[in-house]
Amino acid sequence: MRASTGRERFVAEQPLHEHTLGNGLRVVVCEDHVVPLAAVNIWYAVGSRHEQTGVDGKSRTGLAHLFEHLMFQGSANVAEGEHAALMESAGATFNASTSFERTNYYETVPVSHLPLALWLEADRMGTLPAALTQANLDNQRDVVKNERRQRYDNQPYGTAFERLCRLTFPPGHPYAHTPIGSMEDLDATTIEDCVEFFRTWYAPGNAVLSVVGDVDPEAVIEMAERYFGCIPPGPPAPPARPGDLEPLTEVRLEEVDEEVPSPAYFAMLPLPSDGGPEIEAAELAVEILGGGTGSRLYDRMVRRDQIATEVWTGVTRMVDGPSLALVEAVGPDPARIAEVLDEELAAFAEHGPTEDETARATAQAERGLLERTETVTGLANALSGNATQFGDPARTFTAAERAAAVTAEEIRDAARRWLAPGARTALSYGGAR
Amino acid sequence: MTTLIPDFPARPVPGPIPPWPFPTGVSGRIPDGPATLRCDLPGRRLAAVRLVLDAGAGREPAGQDGVATLTAHALLEGTEPGGGTALTSAFERLGASLYATADLTSLRIALDAPTSRLGDALRLLSEVVRRPALDDADVQRLVRERLEEIAQEDADPGTRAMRELRARLFPAGSRPARPTGGSPETVKKLTGEQVRAFYSAVAPAEGTAVITGDLSGLDAEAMLAEAFGGWRAAGAPLAAPDTAEPTPGPRLVIVDRPGSVQTYLSFGHGVPPRSHPDWPLLSVACHVLGGGLASRLNALLREEKGYTYGMRAGLLRMRHCGVFVAQGSVHTEVTADAVNDALSVLRGMLDGVTEEECRASVSALADRAPADYETARSVAAEFADAASAGLGPDYPRRYLEELRAATAEEVTRAYAEHVSQDALTVIAVGDAAQIRGPLEELGHTEITVVEG
Repeated sequence: MRASTGRERFVAEQPLHEHTLGNGLRVVVCEDHVVPLAAVNIWYAVGSRHEQTGVDGKSRTGLAHLFEHLMFQGSANVAEGEHAALMESAGATFNASTSFERTNYYETVPVSHLPLALWLEADRMGTLPAALTQANLDNQRDVVKNERRQRYDNQPYGTAFERLCRLTFPPGHPYAHTPIGSMEDLDATTIEDCVEFFRTWYAPGNAVLSVVGDVDPEAVIEMAERYFGCIPPGPPAPPARPGDLEPLTEVRLEEVDEEVPSPAYFAMLPLPSDGGPEIEAAELAVEILGGGTGSRLYDRMVRRDQIATEVWTGVTRMVDGPSLALVEAVGPDPARIAEVLDEELAAFAEHGPTEDETARATAQAERGLLERTETVTGLANALSGNATQFGDPARTFTAAERAAAVTAEEIRDAARRWLAPGARTALSYGGAR
Repeated sequence: MTTLIPDFPARPVPGPIPPWPFPTGVSGRIPDGPATLRCDLPGRRLAAVRLVLDAGAGREPAGQDGVATLTAHALLEGTEPGGGTALTSAFERLGASLYATADLTSLRIALDAPTSRLGDALRLLSEVVRRPALDDADVQRLVRERLEEIAQEDADPGTRAMRELRARLFPAGSRPARPTGGSPETVKKLTGEQVRAFYSAVAPAEGTAVITGDLSGLDAEAMLAEAFGGWRAAGAPLAAPDTAEPTPGPRLVIVDRPGSVQTYLSFGHGVPPRSHPDWPLLSVACHVLGGGLASRLNALLREEKGYTYGMRAGLLRMRHCGVFVAQGSVHTEVTADAVNDALSVLRGMLDGVTEEECRASVSALADRAPADYETARSVAAEFADAASAGLGPDYPRRYLEELRAATAEEVTRAYAEHVSQDALTVIAVGDAAQIRGPLEELGHTEITVVEG
């Protein structure tokens, strides 16, 4: 299906079939017959921002992610290790991930195995505590602690994002800690914490199931009814703590004393929340500023001034709190990098983007949408995400339009408001070397 | 407290997995240019072009380690001195992107573009490969960036372990024993002139241009011919590649990282190349060992003992040989126990892979192919890799068929034959002060300690 009206788009909207079960589980189905696969994706609207952070005396950071691991340890009708064994031996790709605002579980299976995949997801949605044991908890706690060591503690600059969140948000704020959590809180987590977490957040009404692939939508909805329909509704999810943040008015800098291969400068700038028009403009502004090797920061810092050997920017969108822009630059003099960053931010805020920059950033947004949705796995995840966070899975397909609707003036205004010089948190690594 | 659901249906029994053949590639040749390989993939609107040139690090002139990698980077800097930003911008305007890398065998150029802009993107690529600036000042900057990149790579325990494994496994001084992208000592001496000389010696006629995606309505062969026809090598041919073979251990090398909270472990052994009939059998053996959470290494080291976030085993593809590698990070304090357990698991394979393990691993490898090759990029990369290894366009399909024919007995036999348990090379990147003593007590073999 190739759209060809007006300016040609790479991505066409595909028809969606939606259904809500009696217990509140929302189901989204999209046919895609390119490969004989079915992608199953469940988003639970719970992430690290819902964890207890010591405000009420108890801190359980890392629980959402640790719990995600426990979801692979069996349920009432699935033995320990069986989920992985069944999926692997069917050539399925499967995993799960936990972020600030959600946890997702997914498996892409040969279409013959779709009923089994749905049944496995339904069993753990309905009966996880039946298989929870102290031995499983202790084992997965060790695995997660090793995950923390491997991905963050034993990697150069590995704790940068975690440090920046801690600098940006006040203590105890739901976004002040990252999903991996702290070793102390992981150690303190009990079976009771896990069961309570499950009962609070893993109700069908707090989840969205998407299926994309070589399927008949009506048959998939029937299967969803068959396997998930008998799960009791459970309590409504409690209201989440507000994620608001006062704007930053200064550069809050931490000098990190850690052995790293080279000095570097990392910065975090809060952006508007996802859902409104402002984030679209702000993300394009960040893309123009530092996205890729054709960007302003790369051209200035790496190619012309040669004060950095590497520059990277990225945006993490949040719905209930501020989205976050991240800037990373590796170079011998972090203080100089900070000065040049301010110069570039000031120039951008004053003049805004060129016509060419706006066109490129828009084309990149469109390319990004194509990459996110070209596989059944990616599309299923995008549908679950948009359904969970915005109540509208079809919003997936409007990403390019939303970017294309932004004007150069709006990008400039977003830069003025959100990317002002002198208002960020930052890390300086090894500047004194 | 147990949650049970009264009417929960019985576990469904899956039907047969639908067959899926690897897509067919059509071979061609551009007169006075590279061979071509086209593959039409209906519905894939992001097309991929992969140009594989027979100019990998294995053919670098003596003393110029890293010049192939540097050449790849310099190609992205455009057709005018200082033209990198303009070139990147031109591709971005099309929603396209260009990358280039070098491995031991090939110089690889990768273009991704929406099919609707493929013609424009190929015209840009044509300019780049025919008339790259490879300017002195750009190359000097890229040398500094590459030196920085090497420092970053060495700081990553997994990359550092792989560098050490190759240095120990291949004969000292041979090209495969040395880092593909060069060492600081060789890279810092590289010049624009050397990059230009290397690139001028690249023979396009020895290369292959792969194009995949929804090619309906496009004359892909004509587009490739326009882009690459009449593009010739200007300089003297490159030297023949160094094809030194891996040598047997046993070895145990600690790469010392004081204060490291984990130890990165790597267990390696040379195996035959992909052209050998045992390659699919060895792939199955690797999957049984460390292919997923249910694999033997993960069942013991992760799911039972909690020593690691995960282990994996696989085969490194080189044109002239392969390398068996099992690897992963373990908590520092359990390093010796983890090495002992891993060695037992590796040796335990000699007692035989079970029929059930074999069936599950074959399925895991072969039945995930439709997902692995869902994008034009992944199909193109597989064809390009086969071309780079001289295996031909039917190799990916043949490989999947051979996987399906594997038996437990054959898998066990191939593993026993090609991965000698008494000749493994073990690399441990971690805190020598904490792990050396316990590793010595294992009595595996004499320990060498090098600086991290």
